[in-house]
Amino acid sequence: MPLGSVVLAFVVGALIVGVTGGNPFAAYGALLCGGFGFICTSGENPALQISNTILFVIPLITTGVAVALPFRAGLFNIGAEGQLLAGSIACTAIGIKFSSLPTPILLPMVLVGGMAAGALWAGVAGVLKATVGAHEVVTTIMLNYVAQWLLRYLIIGGPLQLAPGTSKSLPIGQGARLATILPNDNTLIIFGLPSSVFRVHTGIVIALVAAAVFAFLLWRTSLGYEIRAVGQSQKAARYAGVSVRRTIIVTMLIAGAFSGLAGAIEIAGVDHNLTDKYFSDTTGFDAIAVALLGLGSAVGIVMAAVLFGALHAGGSVMQADANISGNLVYVLQALILFSIAANFVGAIRQQIPGLRRPPPSAPAALPAEPPAAPMMTEAAAPPAEA
Amino acid sequence: MSALSDILHLLFTANLWQAALAAAVLLLLPALGGVISERSGVVNIAMEGMMLTGAFFGVVADLAWHNVWAATAVAMLAGGVMATIHGIVSIRFRADQIVSGIAINIFATGLTVFLVNRIYGLQDVGHVGQGELLPYINIPVLDQIPFFGKVLFQQNVIVYVALVILILTQVVLFRTRLGLRIRAVGEHPQAADTAGINVFAIRYGAVITSGLLSGLSGAFLAIGISNTFVPNMTDGRGYIALAAMIFGKWTPLGAFIACIIFGLGQAIYDNNSTIHISQYLLSMLPYVLVLVVLAGLVGRSTPPAADGLPYVPGSE
Amino acid sequence: MSDSTPLAVDMRGITKQFPGVLANDHVDFSVRQGEIHALVGENGAGKSTLMNELYGLIHPDSGEILIDGKAVPINGPRDAISLGIGMVHQHFMLIPVFSVGENIMLGREPVTGPGFYDRGRARAAIADLTKRYGLALDADARMGDLPVGLQQRAEIVKVLYRGANILILDEPTGVLTPQESHELFGVLRDLVKNGKTIIFISHKLKEVLEISDRITVMRRGKVVGHLTTKDTNEEEIATLMVGREVLLRVDKAAARPGGVALKVEDLTANSDQSVPALKGVSFELRFGEILGIAGVEGNGQSELMEVLAGTRRATGGRVMLGGRNITTMDANTERDAGVAFIPEDRRGTGLVLGFSIAENSILGRERAAKFSWRHFVLRLLAIREWARGLVKEFDIRTPSIDVAARNLSGGNQQKVIVAREMGGKPKVLLAAQPTRGVDIGAIEFIHRQIVKERDDGAAVLLVSAELDEVRSLSDRIAVMYEGKIVSIEGPDTPEERLGLLMTGGGMKAGAA
Repeated sequence: MPLGSVVLAFVVGALIVGVTGGNPFAAYGALLCGGFGFICTSGENPALQISNTILFVIPLITTGVAVALPFRAGLFNIGAEGQLLAGSIACTAIGIKFSSLPTPILLPMVLVGGMAAGALWAGVAGVLKATVGAHEVVTTIMLNYVAQWLLRYLIIGGPLQLAPGTSKSLPIGQGARLATILPNDNTLIIFGLPSSVFRVHTGIVIALVAAAVFAFLLWRTSLGYEIRAVGQSQKAARYAGVSVRRTIIVTMLIAGAFSGLAGAIEIAGVDHNLTDKYFSDTTGFDAIAVALLGLGSAVGIVMAAVLFGALHAGGSVMQADANISGNLVYVLQALILFSIAANFVGAIRQQIPGLRRPPPSAPAALPAEPPAAPMMTEAAAPPAEA
Repeated sequence: MSALSDILHLLFTANLWQAALAAAVLLLLPALGGVISERSGVVNIAMEGMMLTGAFFGVVADLAWHNVWAATAVAMLAGGVMATIHGIVSIRFRADQIVSGIAINIFATGLTVFLVNRIYGLQDVGHVGQGELLPYINIPVLDQIPFFGKVLFQQNVIVYVALVILILTQVVLFRTRLGLRIRAVGEHPQAADTAGINVFAIRYGAVITSGLLSGLSGAFLAIGISNTFVPNMTDGRGYIALAAMIFGKWTPLGAFIACIIFGLGQAIYDNNSTIHISQYLLSMLPYVLVLVVLAGLVGRSTPPAADGLPYVPGSE
Repeated sequence: MSDSTPLAVDMRGITKQFPGVLANDHVDFSVRQGEIHALVGENGAGKSTLMNELYGLIHPDSGEILIDGKAVPINGPRDAISLGIGMVHQHFMLIPVFSVGENIMLGREPVTGPGFYDRGRARAAIADLTKRYGLALDADARMGDLPVGLQQRAEIVKVLYRGANILILDEPTGVLTPQESHELFGVLRDLVKNGKTIIFISHKLKEVLEISDRITVMRRGKVVGHLTTKDTNEEEIATLMVGREVLLRVDKAAARPGGVALKVEDLTANSDQSVPALKGVSFELRFGEILGIAGVEGNGQSELMEVLAGTRRATGGRVMLGGRNITTMDANTERDAGVAFIPEDRRGTGLVLGFSIAENSILGRERAAKFSWRHFVLRLLAIREWARGLVKEFDIRTPSIDVAARNLSGGNQQKVIVAREMGGKPKVLLAAQPTRGVDIGAIEFIHRQIVKERDDGAAVLLVSAELDEVRSLSDRIAVMYEGKIVSIEGPDTPEERLGLLMTGGGMKAGAA
């Protein structure tokens, strides 16, 4: 089903490109080259493209998890972006303030600091939801804007500004930086390029661990059980003796920590300082599509993150090679969202006799109530036995 | 001078209130759309995207035809088309309405910039001429009233239109047969259906109306207040309108009061040249305000009972 | 009424397939003009589907419908209404935040000018209707503020306002007291005298025998019997409904009550709306007995069970379990102390529908040492072993323990809850509406389990809206009325006396 949604989105996307006078084949060819290093026609280095894709994938996995976890509790975390920014701000602030500390001390500090800041940011929404019932969709959106403006303030005229007239911060200390996977060496030639241009870094390991932690937490722990129970039926959770309020707050705190970690990894692994690039960052929004497309499972999230990472990395190549705006990627992303949410693929399948599946035998009645987190289908049900 | 006394001083100027009302109307139109849509039971967080689409196509049409009224109609239509997509996906296909709303917003962001690039290449969109913008109209005689004349009667034509729509919405929703039916569909679609009301027609109508109003607001922004299109120029106003709708307890007048509060925040920000505080910190004001307001509501704001629930005929 | 009376409704060969279930299988169903026709069958037999098709809410895959002898297409409620068909649904189609008048007018509202809702004419129309049929109602009251009986009356007036000649009533007595039911029957007889035709859906056989002229019995989507009421009896209908002979009585030995298990003293609590729901409840529950609580729904039974189970806070009084004060304990601590709770809302509260049977089998014990390491990491193998044991012991019909609870039948869902709660060998079992909406086979099984639990020495507190169930299971019967226990009676108390006590009458013999 998710694969069909992706295909359908690409077909509609091709139509949009075609109707507006572009060449869809050129566009998608450039996307493939930019994303995965396949069939590059304009001399792009495939290894470099893959490295760039992975750079996008890292924060997408971590924020994807940060959206998927609250989904399970019936919460819609649209605030991964704000939480990510909070994490990157905290990471930068700590990395500057304690820049002289050695890596074994400073690196954990900046990562944990980023997680704490993200958790705080999401926690505001969690507490508002749990205590006064403020809808988390609205509060997290507002918190996104607050984070964005806070960031602008901090690096334009604020305490983190590098120098008057600039819109970036001081760099973090060497000890706060994540190692790149290939040596940072201008003279070493790998895959035909100096190895220092391959910026893929050890954050990918952290992101994969985060996805594993997410899966373990959700399916193998009492807390995960309670989160899922709250998401499906607050009444049943209450009956079971679970504190719904506490679970909501804890879930948002954990989710915020994941997003904050993503932000910290971006600073520690790639940028080493805050820049105006973060003003237009959309990772936290892409994460919504990642979580939905990944059906809320860890493996699915990683795969969806690879897809969207490749799209983003490919977008700039498409812009350069095929003269199609990289924003087509957002159009595709929206189309995928529509397609998953509306189950267009299932509807199309029902129209074509040869593809029609026999109806599932079990559910007798029409669905009486949509589950609290409707986008999480049973397709993502747990592997119940070890 | 402290920032606080700066703001206090500002609060007593007609200029500020005039700007506040205009800013409020920019939020009011999508907020009213949200009220109508959600009263019929369709959660709508897509006003942001509908506004943005409206803004873009309004500018494109105005540049092409040099007719601001036709351009405004196009803007409304564009918002309406986006709303129709939201309607089909969430009513016909019973998709999660929040996901659909997010998708609309992402779609609008991507599509507008993509089209800017297709239509105008790497150049700017271009600027709409002064005579082809939504006009400011001073109401004779009334505009001479001290203070209030400036605030209420020296405004853009859209401000007057929006205030009429506000009253119309309030009356229709709570005093007419149509309003009774819209609210019935949003509270209990099964009850409405068994009473012979066409639930789907009402819901489509309500969602599309929200798109038309959001598109109108987009036109006001792009070819009224501004004179061009820049990517993401709505800057979260659709979301603030959403918050205004909730704060206003899903009533038109309540939403209007909330919009005035947020409009005031915007106007203070726009007048920041006299306030000695970082403009970026000031920019946070409306968003923080929303959070504070929501925190203070303490669950007293209840949406329509069937808001966000797709209707499946024959289910209970 | 005779065979020559023309047919008001004639449904022929109706078939409807839902995913995985044939809801109506070539159903023939006919109703004569001016009769009260009962449609009976167990839950899931296809009664509601058939009536929803008649009312146009869903469309049959095949078959035809004749109204007053003419074949007509019914493509929606609008068509049904214009054909003079009206339906009072089991779950009322009322909007709580609207006024009575707005609810009744909805869809056919009087208007003035360009479409303004005309409150005055609405009021007049309702006054006219209520006078004609003797059904008094306040048009300006808020619907949500009315008691259930009056809400149902509003539903009937709503249908009459639309000019219905054929009234479908879906389980209309489910929420009513015996007295209210009798009142309703009076209204129905008056309506028939006024020339109306009534289709009465029910599974309560006594009522069916009392009110109907003819009976159609459905089982698993098929019609299995057409009966004339005066020529049949409860046993015959029940046998047709279930497809085998059923025992309508519960077989049980005399109770041998032991010491006091639960002592409740002057307990008070509020409802969800923060109004007092329990106003000083006191009673003792002994080991080895079943104490049934009779009462009209909404008189505090639900709140009492929730307070005892720890999911609702008491505002005063105390609850003693043995020597321990458990008044303020939360649900988890109480469960550990040996209090099990079968909640009345099976699908919403007792189960997480999307969870598998295995997952549901530990609901509330997910942090117990038996099922989790250090209260955190789930012991999946232990959970599965436990769930398999329950499935076997309680005869839960399922292909595997990984099936989601949503995909089980109502009876099997309830068995999962019963199994989970009884499987922990509780000292006290709180059972709220334990057999609501489940098929007769499951009812028999659950009744036997409750009696077995009692015989094993547990103290059982039973709440049920079915007076028959309370009377046949209980060793003592406590009657609740307006948040108090007004009397505790023996198991053989006549239904009439209980009915009187349930509505606040006959209190002088009360021994609360």
